Amino acid sequence: MTSTVAERVGRLERQWAERPGVLGWLTTTDHKRVGLLYFWTTLVFFGAGGVEALIMRSQLIKANNSLVGPEVFDQLFTVHGMTMIFWFIIPMTTGAFGNYLVPLMVGARDMAFPRMNALSFWIFVASGIFLYIGLFSGFGPDAGWFNYVPLADRHFDPSRNIEFYTLALAFNSIASTLTSANLIVTILKLRAPGMSFNRMPLFCFAFLAASFGLIFALPSLSVDLLFLYLQRNLGFHFFDAAHGGSSFLWQHLFWFFGHPEVYILIVPAFGIATEIIPAFTRRKMLAFPLVAIAELLVVFIGFGVWAHHMFATGLPSTTLVFFAGATSMVVIPSTIQVFAWTMSIYTGRPKFRTPLLFIVGFIVMFVAGGLTGIMFLAIPFDQQVTDTYFVVAHFHYIIFGAAVFPIFGGMYYWFPKVTGKLYFERPGQISFWIIFVGTNLLFFPMHIVGLLGMPRRVYTYPGDMGWTSYNLVESIGGYVTAIGILVLFANLVVSYFRGAPSGPDPWHGPTLEWSVPSPPPEYNFAVIPTVSSAYANWDSDDRERDGHRLTAGVGTLERGHEQHVSSLIDGWTAEIVDMPHASPWPILLALALSLLFAMLVITKFMFAAIFLVIVALTLLGWHGKEPQER
Amino acid sequence: MTDVAVDARARERLSLGWWGVAMLIATEAALFAMMIGSYFYLRFKNAHWPPPGVPEPKVVVPLVLLGVLMLTAFPMWRAARSATPRRWLLLALFVQSGYFAMEVSDFQDDLHHFTPQQHAYGSIYYTLLGADHGHVAVGLLLNAWLLWKLLFGMTEYRRKAIRAIAFYWYAVIVLTIVVTLTVTSPAFAR
Repeated sequence: MTSTVAERVGRLERQWAERPGVLGWLTTTDHKRVGLLYFWTTLVFFGAGGVEALIMRSQLIKANNSLVGPEVFDQLFTVHGMTMIFWFIIPMTTGAFGNYLVPLMVGARDMAFPRMNALSFWIFVASGIFLYIGLFSGFGPDAGWFNYVPLADRHFDPSRNIEFYTLALAFNSIASTLTSANLIVTILKLRAPGMSFNRMPLFCFAFLAASFGLIFALPSLSVDLLFLYLQRNLGFHFFDAAHGGSSFLWQHLFWFFGHPEVYILIVPAFGIATEIIPAFTRRKMLAFPLVAIAELLVVFIGFGVWAHHMFATGLPSTTLVFFAGATSMVVIPSTIQVFAWTMSIYTGRPKFRTPLLFIVGFIVMFVAGGLTGIMFLAIPFDQQVTDTYFVVAHFHYIIFGAAVFPIFGGMYYWFPKVTGKLYFERPGQISFWIIFVGTNLLFFPMHIVGLLGMPRRVYTYPGDMGWTSYNLVESIGGYVTAIGILVLFANLVVSYFRGAPSGPDPWHGPTLEWSVPSPPPEYNFAVIPTVSSAYANWDSDDRERDGHRLTAGVGTLERGHEQHVSSLIDGWTAEIVDMPHASPWPILLALALSLLFAMLVITKFMFAAIFLVIVALTLLGWHGKEPQER
Repeated sequence: MTDVAVDARARERLSLGWWGVAMLIATEAALFAMMIGSYFYLRFKNAHWPPPGVPEPKVVVPLVLLGVLMLTAFPMWRAARSATPRRWLLLALFVQSGYFAMEVSDFQDDLHHFTPQQHAYGSIYYTLLGADHGHVAVGLLLNAWLLWKLLFGMTEYRRKAIRAIAFYWYAVIVLTIVVTLTVTSPAFAR
């Protein structure tokens, strides 16, 4: 007997239904729910990092200010840097945007490893709580986000502050690694039938690049953290020159991770830009293959340039020149993308709605930050401005301008998809302009004050240096930016309650997420879509055919919690698998791991070993239930 | 019909679990690359390696043990392809456990001669070997888990698990080759 469309959809709804209530959220493995959990949690950390920034700007608003003392200021700038990088941008892009959107864009019903996805979220939350317990108990990390030894060694930092740094970051790295592995396998193996590599959205190329970057860069940080932990707590000598170690080893390992990290932060933002530009210019991205390659290449080259962070440390001149040359290569893939974005807008029919405004703002900020970046290639100039506010200005143009602007643009762009409501356009545009003006007021004078010699990381400064008025403008810029961000979120909150219904596709978006209802149902696609180009939602014949297939019951995979698995290159269907559903094990495992890490902070190794056994037992329970045999 | 037809052109039969292990191996390979890089970085920063007062690393025993570990790739490979994998897994687990016990004893013996707190040489030597032995220990637990699961019969899930875990073991063997050659290298460099 043949089923009707309503019966089929009803079956899918029953099979994929999530548990109601809080328990449903605690045990969820649905990529959209995990993505939303990431989104909300990450916003809390963004707020915390923002408050830290505002306290610092309030302290620096005038000379000889005494709002906070040096100890607190040290912790503020360290935790601000750590929070914004590890607890806001990376989890916001890979965790929230990646989790929510990648399966929808590749035509999958979930991530490749749904329970591991939930695990990565709970570990991420625990690692953030861990960091802030340190801060609020007066043991916040205080040696800067790059935590150089010997300053961070026990001799100069004898308290527990650095243990909170090493273990919170190591814990956070596990979460990021799990998310990256999940994104890579999802993108490589769960693509819709017909979605060969060349038909994959540029957004997915960007997330693939960032995820590979994390998989290969984070171990360098982990090794560094392990070495530091062993040196501080068990008397090892990795960084101690008196016993054959080298403090340079910390820096090499840190920056071998730290520089790819910069691209890991901004490449997902590039991906967001390559979605928003086609949607609001009504044209496909110019130079598609070049942009795809450039997204991958920028991360790849990022692994060969780390020593440019060490130009002022006394490395041999040959090394400096080599790394300056290698760094200059980053210009090539970056410029390819800048030209592709700008020319796509120029040759399209742009509608400057809020998401596209944020992308234009991003391009302006990225080019400005990129130009000061090129200046650092002149080694004597770099040595002159190292550790001044010039560097702070440069990386904030990149990190705030190039990474956060597209995140804001993306929030507006996908708001209708996630909530089913339209946001209010005018307040959206106002929020953009306030943020754009605010960030430039905040960060541009830092170039000047840096050239005037103001060092970074000082908690105050004398009044006769000529820095005071610039600092005043910067602080005002900080407050203006904060107001702009508040307007942005107020707009989204009000839109959620009062916005007009958006329908499935208010922008006539180019990729598959716009082919499903808003918000998407738990099973994402009632029929597994077939794809014949990278702009699948613009291929109306294909989408029409999906409708016929749903009526005929072809490709609906409705016998269980089913997912198709595709071949690596061509996207041909290779297998149908049964996927895991809601599970308590991820949150339990994250809890056991948290206790293990807590024991490591207070160096109770016997208890740590007990919790390690509990971790193993939890894993045993995790793998107790096997998927259905097909 | 309610299915997506499997495409005859898609020849790949590697499970998602196998791909997960591939990601683990990629990130672990990077981890060991960084540790080994650190070993040679510290080595070239020091005029004497090992430092005076620390014995040269043993060569014969670690290389023989390495050979034994390499041989276990064969039973793992057979287990991944056999209809009756239990005996192959048991054989592999038996030899791997022997290898692990010998290595742990060797590690303790080394600690009697020099400590990680003495010099950067000892710090990186023990950290590198400890990390490698840790990976062997995880492999042993995985094999033991597989054998326990197989007591209740064979399923498609378990067949995929054997392949994925065999893949993990090949990687552990390659890591161990590199780590062993690294820590024994001062004896060859004279």
